[in-house]
Amino acid sequence: MDETWDINKIQQILPQKYPFLFIDSVIDINKQEKKVACLKNVTINDYFFEGHFPNNPVMPGALIIEAMAQASIILYAVLKPGVAEKHPDYYLGKVEAKFLKPVRVGDQLILEVSGEKILGNAGIVKAQAKVLNEIVAEAEIVFGVKPKE
Amino acid sequence: MPKKNIEELKKEIKKLVSEIAEVSEDELKEDARFTEDLGIDSMMALEIIASLEKKYKLIIPEEKIPTIRSLKNVYDLLEELYLKE
Repeated sequence: MDETWDINKIQQILPQKYPFLFIDSVIDINKQEKKVACLKNVTINDYFFEGHFPNNPVMPGALIIEAMAQASIILYAVLKPGVAEKHPDYYLGKVEAKFLKPVRVGDQLILEVSGEKILGNAGIVKAQAKVLNEIVAEAEIVFGVKPKE
Repeated sequence: MPKKNIEELKKEIKKLVSEIAEVSEDELKEDARFTEDLGIDSMMALEIIASLEKKYKLIIPEEKIPTIRSLKNVYDLLEELYLKE
């Protein structure tokens, strides 16, 4: 791992805050290969389980995408620290996703993101979400990055 | 692997741009402006660039990206980066 990220740094870089922060820790960073892996512990305390669904808690696919997008911001910040530290706005541009297995309470959701093309004002990444080393969802994400005016 | 000639290259690039931009190959004239005439947004342009890089195993420098405003610009850039390397 090239650098360490504690929860304070995660919270400092990600514009999303509780209860919409879906990264608990950064478990691997490889700047050379443009890859990061992040972890989200899925617990019954997650607020969305109250409604999704009563007596059948399944993590919403849309939020798995959100977790992937947040991991993508971490990757972006690793590769473009100068841009990320000025807290730009991140825009989701396009997502192509597949969901393969449900994510349930107790799962450790690993979000692996690799950069296809990362620019000063945009990026394309490939993301995989895994539980116990099995792919539960995958996506290609295109996003824009814009400094605040 | 022998390099492709320019006509082959142009044909492939046109197909690739047409697929990503969701513009028919007939509509995709060489001089049509990506944004104004074809409605290609910056995210699509980025996808086009990433696909070209992958397909032809090259790196398009970030400072060249703003110069890509039409299919002709893409042809010229690829000619420069791919055929002359």
